Amino acid sequence: MQKTLLLLLLLFLSLCRLNAQIADFDHIDFKKADSIALSLKGENLTNLPELSFKLTSTLNTDVEKFRAIYKWVCDNIANDYSLYLKNDRQRQRFKDDSLKLDAWNTKFRTKLFSRLLKKKRTICTGYAYLVKTLADFANLECEIVQGFGRVSTTNIETLDLPNHSWNAVKLNDKWYLCDPTWASGIPNPKTNKFSFQYNDGFFLANPKLFAVNHFPVDERWWLLDDNEIPTFDTFLKAPVLYGNAYKNLELHNAPQQMHHTIKPHQKVVFKYQLKNNTKPENVKLGFDNGFSTWKDQPTSISINDKSLELEHQFNQTGFYDVHLYIDDDLISTYTVDVKK
Amino acid sequence: MKTQTLTQSNTFKTFGFALVFMMTLFTFNATFGQTNETTQERTITGLVSNEEGPLPGANITLDGTRVGAVTDDEGKFTFPKKLKTGDVLVFSYLGYETQKVSITDKTSFITLELTPDMVEMIGAVDTNKPYKSKRKKN
Repeated sequence: MQKTLLLLLLLFLSLCRLNAQIADFDHIDFKKADSIALSLKGENLTNLPELSFKLTSTLNTDVEKFRAIYKWVCDNIANDYSLYLKNDRQRQRFKDDSLKLDAWNTKFRTKLFSRLLKKKRTICTGYAYLVKTLADFANLECEIVQGFGRVSTTNIETLDLPNHSWNAVKLNDKWYLCDPTWASGIPNPKTNKFSFQYNDGFFLANPKLFAVNHFPVDERWWLLDDNEIPTFDTFLKAPVLYGNAYKNLELHNAPQQMHHTIKPHQKVVFKYQLKNNTKPENVKLGFDNGFSTWKDQPTSISINDKSLELEHQFNQTGFYDVHLYIDDDLISTYTVDVKK
Repeated sequence: MKTQTLTQSNTFKTFGFALVFMMTLFTFNATFGQTNETTQERTITGLVSNEEGPLPGANITLDGTRVGAVTDDEGKFTFPKKLKTGDVLVFSYLGYETQKVSITDKTSFITLELTPDMVEMIGAVDTNKPYKSKRKKN
């Protein structure tokens, strides 16, 4: 009897952990927090205790306080690509020389904080650091998570040094994940300059979805059950997810690998849990075989209570980059080698 | 033997009383002194520096309030509100570890060096540029 109770309790606790995401706060309207963040647009970073106070003092719940801080950082701090590229180059250069890498880190840290303070421009760790600092002043428990982030333009199969930072925050005794850097914006496709474009999907995101392209160095920040934690190798072989995946998807269930080798007339199966229902005609696959690119409907598609399942049959041999689009948002990429 | 015991007992009584009296006096005195200090508010000034020297622009806030000061070009500050023993000042500057200092009976000038937060700076840029496989050129 006691064992059964204990098991039930463990099951309940593990369910609680799995649900550590935005859905826990469905009853809370973030309008007030967001409007406070908006009203303080353009504030500078010279007095962080004061900024934190102004962002949070009129809000009642911790989640709203954190929301105001997070939203303000996402809307006011720009991603500095020149700094990012410079840091990336030097880190690669010194990756086998820990003394030189340390010296570079120290020098770069000073430069980075000065750039953040004066110009409100930074890279990932600056975002995560600022969120944590403002949260600390509001007595919210928040941590910086260092790790690996996979995006379509990094050398995704050979990540060797941690390259990304994000945050974990404790609300009502549960830890949640968010990524202020990727939520703040993306490069303008034409000019390649950073443009603010807030993506709400990264706020208290589902840890299972997060795990597809965020690999924390410290494993306590997976917020997953032990048997769900991927190995680094599995992580490197996962599909590429884009920011829009976080807007549209609750879960990315299948395929769990980016690359597939199949024979002509075989099918690849794709499974997702959507955040909102959509119409089948809004779901498309994009193909690139190295010679041309085109979009098409998958061979079969079913949407059932936000569960989206696609199958696509490949008839011609060739090597395909396959992109999933929902409502014209680019969600994810896979590669399919079709050969006899 | 008996007499000696009595004498000892008397001595203890006399000295014991004096001891208790004096202890009580000290205790009261100390308590009185402390009460006096705690309620006595005073102006706190100070100097904040980092590894390179005086640090201008550092924030000093009274814990739990928005009352605060900022260090001047020479790293000096004068706290705008008079403080009492037990108040806590929070010292912060972007990129440095936040430090808390409790005001004691003797505090009037605070000298503090902030230490850098040793966080490793990294960054990956997200993009919605579609992934493109590297293909061998024929």
